[in-house]
Amino acid sequence: MAKRVLITDDALFMRVTLKNILTKNGYEVVGEACNGRESVEMYKSLMPDVVTMDITMPEMDGISAVREIKKVDANAKVIMCTAMGQKNMVMEAVQAGAKDFIIKPFQPEKVLESVQKLIG
Amino acid sequence: MKVEYINPFVSASFSVLESCLGQQPTKGQLSMRPAVFTSHQCNIITGVTGMIEGQVIYGMSLITADKIASKMIGEPIRTFDQLAASAIAELANMITGNAMSHLSSAGFVCDITPPTIIRGTNVKLSTLSIPALVIPVNTEQGEIELTVSLRERK
Repeated sequence: MAKRVLITDDALFMRVTLKNILTKNGYEVVGEACNGRESVEMYKSLMPDVVTMDITMPEMDGISAVREIKKVDANAKVIMCTAMGQKNMVMEAVQAGAKDFIIKPFQPEKVLESVQKLIG
Repeated sequence: MKVEYINPFVSASFSVLESCLGQQPTKGQLSMRPAVFTSHQCNIITGVTGMIEGQVIYGMSLITADKIASKMIGEPIRTFDQLAASAIAELANMITGNAMSHLSSAGFVCDITPPTIIRGTNVKLSTLSIPALVIPVNTEQGEIELTVSLRERK
């Protein structure tokens, strides 16, 4: 069975790009969230194998969303996928429980490598 | 407006544009403006908060916006729809985001706000009274003008 991914990004372009990369490589995109709050809600109902998470989003930012998701499922696998690559952001995301960090703009291989590393 | 805030935007715009458009852009002549002001047809506004605050506006013509969106999406766009707008907004978000990483390395820790697009002719934006530096960046798709208006938080 295909591994299930939940994409979180406020930019439609980024959701479409990530979805194309993942579906072309055998993953099933089970949900697309537009902000952190939606992502947390969708995580609870979908229980995906992995989540991609933007940081700068309206309603709830990605780091707060990781914290919330971790409360729901301590084993949740979240990959941050953001344009903000500064050290303090990476540190904060890792402390919140993120497993990997991808800086935009990314090459498709980078996304696949990160997802494969976490869920195969 | 300190010049040291500018170089991060020049290097970020070059690396992001090279990655997204597959070509090395060129930089035009820098200029100063007394305050943020743009009269481009398509403008993406990104906010900066933290140790440095202000705005960065990416202005371009509608034709350039269409061409850049087509290149990023990977197919010609028929109308400037939500996906095209989102691609252009994300480009601005990535440049400002990458510039923040450079600024952070220089000791200025900042965050950014989600981008806003203002599209249409005869639009004039005039916001903060912080003098702005204008960086024209030329690509095969046309010129993108970065209006950087930042100040250290008091």
